Amino acid sequence: MASLLRPSLLRQGPAVAAPSSRFLSTVTRQTALRPGALAASWQKPTTTTQRVAAFHATQRQQILPPLPQKIQGTANDPVPVPAPEYVHGSYHWTFERLVATGLIPLTIAPFAAGSLNPLTDSILCALLVIHSHTGFESCIIDYFPKNRVPKTRAAAMWALRIATVTLGVALYSFETNDVGITEAVSRLWHA
Amino acid sequence: MASTRALARLATRRTAVVRPAVSSFSRGLASVTDTHAREPVSKVAEKIVPDRAAEVVPESKTSTVREPTPGKDAKIKTFHIYRWNPDEPSAKPRMQTYTLDLNKTGPMMLDALIRIKNEVDPTLTFRRSCREGICGSCAMNIDGVNTLACLCRIPTDTSKESRIYPLPHMYVVKDLVPDMTLFYKQYRSIKPYLQRETPAPDGREYRQSKADRKKLDGLYECILCACCSTSCPSYWWNQEEYLGPAVLLQSYRWIADSRDEKKAERQDALNNSMSLYRCHTIMNCSRTCPKGLNPGLAIAEIKKSMAFA
Repeated sequence: MASLLRPSLLRQGPAVAAPSSRFLSTVTRQTALRPGALAASWQKPTTTTQRVAAFHATQRQQILPPLPQKIQGTANDPVPVPAPEYVHGSYHWTFERLVATGLIPLTIAPFAAGSLNPLTDSILCALLVIHSHTGFESCIIDYFPKNRVPKTRAAAMWALRIATVTLGVALYSFETNDVGITEAVSRLWHA
Repeated sequence: MASTRALARLATRRTAVVRPAVSSFSRGLASVTDTHAREPVSKVAEKIVPDRAAEVVPESKTSTVREPTPGKDAKIKTFHIYRWNPDEPSAKPRMQTYTLDLNKTGPMMLDALIRIKNEVDPTLTFRRSCREGICGSCAMNIDGVNTLACLCRIPTDTSKESRIYPLPHMYVVKDLVPDMTLFYKQYRSIKPYLQRETPAPDGREYRQSKADRKKLDGLYECILCACCSTSCPSYWWNQEEYLGPAVLLQSYRWIADSRDEKKAERQDALNNSMSLYRCHTIMNCSRTCPKGLNPGLAIAEIKKSMAFA
């Protein structure tokens, strides 16, 4: 989607050149293997197209290309069954659903009742933080498989934790020092 | 969006009071004829910047194998079929075009494939066995929908061309034959058989009430064709760890069985973040099931049964 929105794509400029002439953008891996190749290709006169193609940043990159198929054990062995982890399994799911359903009345109630209670406001904030954390955590687990990209996975998780704490502190200070989110929304609504 | 639509469909089906009129906004079961409902936005990006690694040689660059004996008022239909031969590992997969006279072909996609193999191109490879939707061998992606070729009618509109691919996101053995090893290994891991220690009270067979038997309706009919699993984006991303809708439906078939005594163990085997909970109720499984089953509901029932246990 991101590449679709990039306006430079729609210009239909020079088409992505053949891989061989794109040596500048793919220089790292190929020349690291063959040290002589870099000098040789530098001495070749490069055309304008090649230069443009070299700095073309729009080529598609497969983020996680499929690896060759690997079957553990024989075809007649079952896939290993992981040990039960209730905290990451059913407890997590139940908690997630309770938070999500709890958010609905908390979102509607202050406006329906017309009264702004700091207590419900703080509960709403806390649930929002938890809800967004579990939601993003789910995305990270989906898209960064642990056995494939362990470092990216860990980095994303820590980034999420830091973001969640930042959000929590920000909402706390907004609640204590300012009007609070319910009041802010209603003011924006009437603005 | 798709999940809300699928849920809305399921809700209306349950109550069955008012059927929503088919409009461009509503979308029911995945169907081969309803082609405009699924034009993925990603295709646009692929058109602008093609992905050379995953590219298939398009049908415009391959030969067309024509109907050998066209009749007098021949209804010529075009089929583009995915071909890849493991004996030529360096060759790209390609789309091969075949034209058939529909008057001489049976009504189903499988009839067309069998006719191509018999009369036109014997190298075309696909799995088939029962030709009546019981064995689940001929599961493939026809016009963008995972379905059984034997249960899929050939759209009679000859101006529209049909495209046949193997099941998506599976390793291809040859042409339309996917490698199902992992799928069957996952099926084996849920122990799909009755586990029971205590003998029946009267020493005869294990019996159950009609109500208990009724719980298995909609579960035992699954033929493990893998149409649902291979339509599930979660299964595409995390095939190694997530079990997929077909295997989870089978798992629920044994969890729901009143005669089985290992319900807790079965549930514990699923109770981790990957095996079951990668299901995000996308509901592609229920949309695509060629047998009209509802794996999405079965997974929801497992989650519910484990929620407050």
